Amino acid sequence: MAKKDASAVARGAPKAKLAPPRNARAPTAATRQSGGPGGAAPYVRASAWSNGGTFDNPALLWYAKGVGVMQSRALDDPSSWWFFAAIHGQVVAEQGFPGWGYIPGPPQVPTTPLPPKNVRDLYWDQCQHQSWYFAPWHRGYLVALEAQIRAAIVGLGGPSTWALPYWNYFGPGTEYEIPPAFTQLTLPDGTPNPLYVKARYGPNFDGNVFIPIPPASQACEANNVYTGTSPVTPPPGFGGPATGFSHDGSTSGNLENNPHNLVHVDVGGNSPDWSVFGLMSDPDTAGLDPIFYLHHANIDRMWAAWNANGNSNPTDPNWLNGPASVGEREFVMPMPDGSSWVYTPAQVTALSQMDYTYDDLSLTVPIQPPEKILAKRLMKLGAVPAASGARAAATLGKKEDSELVGTRDGALPVTSSGARATVKLDPKVHRKVAASLAAASPSAPPDRVYLKLENVRGARDAHKLNVYVNHQLAGTVALFGVRRASKKDGKHAGEGITFVLDITNIVDTLHLDGTLKAGSLDVRIVPTNAVPDDAGISVGRVSVYRQGFR
Amino acid sequence: MSSGARSWAGLVVLLICVPAWLLLLSRPDVVTGHAHPGAAPGPHPPALAMGALPSMMMGWALMVVAMMTPLMVAPVRHVLERSLKRRRARSAMLFVAGHGAAWMAAGAVLLAAMLALRHVAVQPWLALAVVGVIALAWQCSPARQRCMNRSRHHPELAAFGTAADRDALRFGATHGAWCVGSCWALMLFPLALPQGHFAAMVVVTLVLVSERLEAPRPPSWRLRVPTKLLRIAVAQTRMRWFRARPSGARRNPSGRADP
Repeated sequence: MAKKDASAVARGAPKAKLAPPRNARAPTAATRQSGGPGGAAPYVRASAWSNGGTFDNPALLWYAKGVGVMQSRALDDPSSWWFFAAIHGQVVAEQGFPGWGYIPGPPQVPTTPLPPKNVRDLYWDQCQHQSWYFAPWHRGYLVALEAQIRAAIVGLGGPSTWALPYWNYFGPGTEYEIPPAFTQLTLPDGTPNPLYVKARYGPNFDGNVFIPIPPASQACEANNVYTGTSPVTPPPGFGGPATGFSHDGSTSGNLENNPHNLVHVDVGGNSPDWSVFGLMSDPDTAGLDPIFYLHHANIDRMWAAWNANGNSNPTDPNWLNGPASVGEREFVMPMPDGSSWVYTPAQVTALSQMDYTYDDLSLTVPIQPPEKILAKRLMKLGAVPAASGARAAATLGKKEDSELVGTRDGALPVTSSGARATVKLDPKVHRKVAASLAAASPSAPPDRVYLKLENVRGARDAHKLNVYVNHQLAGTVALFGVRRASKKDGKHAGEGITFVLDITNIVDTLHLDGTLKAGSLDVRIVPTNAVPDDAGISVGRVSVYRQGFR
Repeated sequence: MSSGARSWAGLVVLLICVPAWLLLLSRPDVVTGHAHPGAAPGPHPPALAMGALPSMMMGWALMVVAMMTPLMVAPVRHVLERSLKRRRARSAMLFVAGHGAAWMAAGAVLLAAMLALRHVAVQPWLALAVVGVIALAWQCSPARQRCMNRSRHHPELAAFGTAADRDALRFGATHGAWCVGSCWALMLFPLALPQGHFAAMVVVTLVLVSERLEAPRPPSWRLRVPTKLLRIAVAQTRMRWFRARPSGARRNPSGRADP
């Protein structure tokens, strides 16, 4: 089959077909020094904080130049910065902010010329969220963007070995701050810095961009199940829920929830006058900010580290074959040679399949093995864990029994002063939980308990909510993606996003203190910043679920 | 609710429609009411024509059970997952009751209109043509897309007491109403045919199921060709029976061979 020119498709050339043929060889294969498929040395993605995170780091300087080249191209050019951002998500034509025409520059975001409808339908708005395809789709997206940037760099006479840096906000020292290269207005040669973005306000909305740690954490690395749940994996699993034939369910995977969503909202923030929010705060503008790709390189690195730690990706054919297996769009990316790359999770599931690796897959905090986590819990509850029992119990999860324990019915608006909910527990199920905690043993793992903020809706994503149960911090959620999930005619049918918080530890403490008998839980939701009236944040229902393992 | 329980819930819902399909197969004229003289095409005294309505309503109920039940799998699962375990069956039945009530209320209006159309359109093909044009126009309309989008909305549900009963019933009724808005025109199609009612019902059901699997979209005038069910069937068959390599299997951009 002849290779189709994706640019020709974009120009609406005669006889252009809706779906370009699959690509042949990758454009970068010919430039590889070691040569030969399967034997070439991989590109090495390194920390953006090398050389202090400034333009003394050549990878960042070349990245900036590559971004500049891509930004010089038109919106309808599949190799342009703007086209690539729209692949993730876009509101190019929307009236009023966050419509792209209303974004305060730099950069000056174009809204014309639009690519033909068939090209937009093929490439744009592909990003996978609240889905087990989250990690593999973004992996392929980064590969394609990296190839485009590298091609632009080579065109400028730069190194053919360039690889996308990653921002490890969990790194030592001040690496939780955005690398300084992204805050400079100009490059070393005095020209405008393409890495600088005006609409990037930080967690305190004052332009100081850093990641508060905690609540951002690497706790998800202790999960041992990609999709589903286990005694050490809160639902819906490390990678996210299986998104099958229908579109019910709107819960982010644990990696996506934290740190991915938190970093997006921390970096983007809101403008001090509330007129706009930061580009990174919303999925439909995030791809416009060059820091996006360094953030996702770290998320990808965390996925690779999770695999390197002995955890497996799904082998379900519906995951391996991607959303096309359930009648949805394929993953497709435009490549520098003008072809399109159609890929599936099966082709990107392992780092060893890719043309890149990371200079360091280690995590900055030790991740305890599942059996130790369970053993600690059993000891806390007064059960004496046998080593082998704890190991076996930690891998249980094939027959889980999940049910509702209690709710606070009715919508709960969240304002600047927060919200408070009394969750009433059903007496019978409540007794089941208490009995399971009292009878905890290696062969009878105790129930896990989760708090759900169901159907969270709002008009602004740039908010984080601290959630407390009986005055103990249960966790922090970031509302990344809530705005578009609240649209009644959007993909989520207006259901918003549901957040799951693991409150097992808190419930264990209440049980040991004897206060679990009260029959209700006191839940408080406290925003980390003020919430403007037009944010319209509400929680559809607050609920508590128990999860048993047999 | 465990994944196994979710699967069982879906299976039970689907099994409910099997007896209805068998009855429709054995008595396809029950939906058209042609056993009643007033329901046959042609001019009749209004009283005679409307006298066919009760028997047609029974046929309509069978149609709704057979054709709408597959569309209720997702919302019923939502009710089960969001309900206390001890209330799951009760809430599910209330949902179904609300849903059914919406369809029966709509049926009375639609069937009366169908009878009136037969009274006016002496030739059966004329009634079919009118229904066909209306169905096509509605099928492409933004209003219909809006109804489809709303039918995918699964609201929050109270968990305790009469509020739980109220919410389950209300969810069923509103879901049913949006379903009516999405499907009423296509549901009339088998009734307008002079023959081939069972086959038409099967086709319409497959079309509606395929449409229901599509994601919500911005309302607009658009010719909708529901192919998702077919795409799923083809992809699943390739995957499971022919063990096909994942689609698009080529070298990844590194030039490395796929595993």
